Amino acid sequence: MSSSSEISPPKLPTRFLRWFCNPNLIEDVEGDLSELYAERFTESQPKAKLKYLLDVLLLFRPGIIKNIELKNGLIHTAMIKNYLKIIFRNALRYKGFTTLNLLGLIVGITTSTTIFLWVNDEVSIDKFHVEGDRIYQLFRNMKQSGREVRTTFTVPKPAADLMREEYPEVDQVAQVSWPIETRLELEDDRTDEVGFYVTPSFLSMFSFELLEGDRQTSLADLSSIMISRSVAEKFFGSGWKDTALGQTLTLDDEQKATVTGVFENVGDNSSLQFDWLLPAEVYYKENTWVDDWGNGSFRVYFTLRDQQNAPIVGERIKNSIKEYAAGQDNAGDEELILHKFQDYYLYSNFKNGVIDGGRIEYVKILTAIALLILIIACINFTNLATARSSRRSKEVGLRKVMGAHKSSIGNQFLFESVLTATFAMGISLVLIQLILPYFNQMVDKNLFMDFSSLSTWIYILGIILIVGLLSGSYPALLLPRFKIVNSLKGVVRQSSGAAMMRKGLVVFQFAISTFLIISISVVYKQLNYVLDKDLGLNKTNLISVSLNYELGERWETLKDEIGKIPYVKNVSVAAGNPLETNWSTSSASWEGKDPNADYEINIMLTDKSFIETTEIQILQGRDFSSDLGDSTSFLINEVAAEVMGFDDPINKKLSFWGIEGRVIGVIKNYHMQDLHESISPLIISCFNPAQSGVALVRVSDNPSEVLVKIEEILTSLSSGYELDYNYVDEAYAENYSTEFLISNLVKIFVCISIFLSCLGLFGLSAFTAEQRSKEIGVRKVHGASVRHLVLLLSKDYSILMIFAFILAIPFGYYYAQQWLDGFEFRTTISPFLFVVAGLITFIIGALTVSFKSYQAARINPVKTLKDE
Amino acid sequence: MGKYSIGEFEEVVMLTVAVLYKDAYGISIKEEIENRLERKVSVGAMRTALNRLEKKGYLDSEFGEATAVRGGKRKRYFKVTPLGKRVLEQVMETRKQLWDSIPSVAFDFKFA
Repeated sequence: MSSSSEISPPKLPTRFLRWFCNPNLIEDVEGDLSELYAERFTESQPKAKLKYLLDVLLLFRPGIIKNIELKNGLIHTAMIKNYLKIIFRNALRYKGFTTLNLLGLIVGITTSTTIFLWVNDEVSIDKFHVEGDRIYQLFRNMKQSGREVRTTFTVPKPAADLMREEYPEVDQVAQVSWPIETRLELEDDRTDEVGFYVTPSFLSMFSFELLEGDRQTSLADLSSIMISRSVAEKFFGSGWKDTALGQTLTLDDEQKATVTGVFENVGDNSSLQFDWLLPAEVYYKENTWVDDWGNGSFRVYFTLRDQQNAPIVGERIKNSIKEYAAGQDNAGDEELILHKFQDYYLYSNFKNGVIDGGRIEYVKILTAIALLILIIACINFTNLATARSSRRSKEVGLRKVMGAHKSSIGNQFLFESVLTATFAMGISLVLIQLILPYFNQMVDKNLFMDFSSLSTWIYILGIILIVGLLSGSYPALLLPRFKIVNSLKGVVRQSSGAAMMRKGLVVFQFAISTFLIISISVVYKQLNYVLDKDLGLNKTNLISVSLNYELGERWETLKDEIGKIPYVKNVSVAAGNPLETNWSTSSASWEGKDPNADYEINIMLTDKSFIETTEIQILQGRDFSSDLGDSTSFLINEVAAEVMGFDDPINKKLSFWGIEGRVIGVIKNYHMQDLHESISPLIISCFNPAQSGVALVRVSDNPSEVLVKIEEILTSLSSGYELDYNYVDEAYAENYSTEFLISNLVKIFVCISIFLSCLGLFGLSAFTAEQRSKEIGVRKVHGASVRHLVLLLSKDYSILMIFAFILAIPFGYYYAQQWLDGFEFRTTISPFLFVVAGLITFIIGALTVSFKSYQAARINPVKTLKDE
Repeated sequence: MGKYSIGEFEEVVMLTVAVLYKDAYGISIKEEIENRLERKVSVGAMRTALNRLEKKGYLDSEFGEATAVRGGKRKRYFKVTPLGKRVLEQVMETRKQLWDSIPSVAFDFKFA
């Protein structure tokens, strides 16, 4: 027998057997099998092994397999009932803490969910086009010698034709104009709507929903127009479906077009917003300048047959302008680049000809804030749970005495936190419904929770699990570790580790809050800087009134009449708002110009009173004079003088667009675009004021009264005219609407994060005060003053907040500086700002702590000392 | 079969346990059945039957000595309980009654 003892059955099947076999049976079953194996082994080893395996497999049957029961007890409904009961009782017994806990979670979840809704909406914009993956847009990089590259979406029309005809990789090409406002008229009904001139392929490339008409043919005819459902309803009422097609609309009082199609209103999820579409050919016919390689015209979109060809196409098209426009006098040093259409909404900033962020930064900032707020809320829960753990120690001890496993106690606390999170989520969902209307108004969106979509539920479940597990895991780890005897005695000394952890988390929370305060102060300071900055012209009390073609022609009469209105100091007509100059040329030439260098120079077409009206400073030379024939005289700005390399610019020859003349003066630089951009060279000309698009009116007071008079004058000069104006300073501030919006949002969220942090701190200090109530009582008996006691209780937390402050400084500095770097003209980050941010958090935190401490210190010591 | 239900294989197992008397454990029962009935019995089938019979209270078991060939595992010896004996008797009784009730002509195949 001794020899056979060395024969041991195959290991793997044995392990399998031991795993599934009922423990009552395992011993002799295994014995039987080994005996059999030994017997068979003497005959043939492989056969024995095989039969052993077979026997084990045949044993895998009901009656042998052990009863399936999980040891952790969560499956037993009785235990769940018990847990629920305990959770419920605990929640009711400590109402204050329950409220704090729930309030924190609810505020956290509500805020972050609202932010995530916004983020989700931002990210989904332009993603609905079926062909979306394959649509690209062309951009034009204009290199300015020795200066930065400017990127524009206006692309020469021949580039689009070239792609369409000669690029096999390209499937479709569509040209789309910039948004154009046009008056649509049907008999007595009229409405001003924004729309695009597009080539017919626009409809087949993009997936805008068509209600009437045909994607292929609706824009083929030159006299056709397509309108949105809302425009159709305006003109033809609710029965537009039967009446709209074939009707003729008048556009801008001159052109006629027949409705050939109606499309569904363009949704908020599209960056292209339009209410009518006209054939691009109509525009091309009237504007032959578009056929020139040197002029940028409509936006160009194209689809690739295969996305992988994007680099090849990019390489081919890159230098086409230089090749084809070579030798022309308006040929600039320009390159074409591709950019994915879907990405453009979020990545629309170009820096030196390459993509450099855009809205994506705000999306990132807000996502980060949402996550931080969620984390702060979870930390509150964790901190309160661990701080209160001694309250639960007897329960834990008793459970252990009854044989509860460590893991089952851990599970109990996880279950508790997940349940709390579920409850908080439920209330948050209701709150979100209440908040969303206001939030939508603020961000100008139509956000809503789509409960019919699966992803919403996944999100809800996900947040419940993440919040529940994140906030419950530390207590679940800590509580089961209590020593039974101590916990039953009620003398749980919390390990220093747990206290450290708690303090660490408080520091972390306040570091986040301080960091957010620093960030928002920098944003705020930059915005104020931008708005208050001396732009080089006086933008307050300056009104810009739009003119139509007819009024432009009669600019002299108009100026005279407006000038007579009381409170009007000066009037000037100009091509556009001086703070949004968008005319430019690359074909200017001047004395001593390097023939190989290319410069993109801005042009401001205006009249002789422009400088007077805008109050721009003249540094050298003189202003236009009404007495002299100054129509071919030019003013240039400092940058232009520098670019042109004039030592003394006065009287130097200068020409562009076929106008030849001389420089008569240099003006101080003023900002022609918002402060994201640097100042470009500029030429001011009063060659032909009749082409003006706006009248700039400088008033001393009472702008609204003046506007009424202006309207009277303008309508008398041009019968169809409708007043359209803006205040130059407001229009300028409009440039920063996104920044304002984000800074307002961030401000609110920062307040919420501070509130949450304080909530946690409040809970903790309340707990400490309660724990040390006897100590406070003894101290009071010995004559300690309330002030001393408050100081004593608050001291620990004050130190924590100082730590948090120190921790937040480098992060705050780094990210604020990064954000500021996106501005060409920016404010500075002063240490003062950090001190203020630190002080704000410190004061709020200290107030929170001392409030609770003060309450504790005021209690009559008899109350705390009488029992025991 | 009256108030006790028992399958054919279970009956065989119980009878074999009784036959083996003091030596009835897993392997010996299996081998005995295989020898007498000339059929293969898997460990699994037998184990399940033994287990079921014990739960019903027809068999009782106790551990015996461990041997090296069993990898140090003890044998579980089975014996028939008084209840088990009654069941076996009843099964036999029922069969006997059935046999007795067969009309003598039924098995007379001369005229078939």
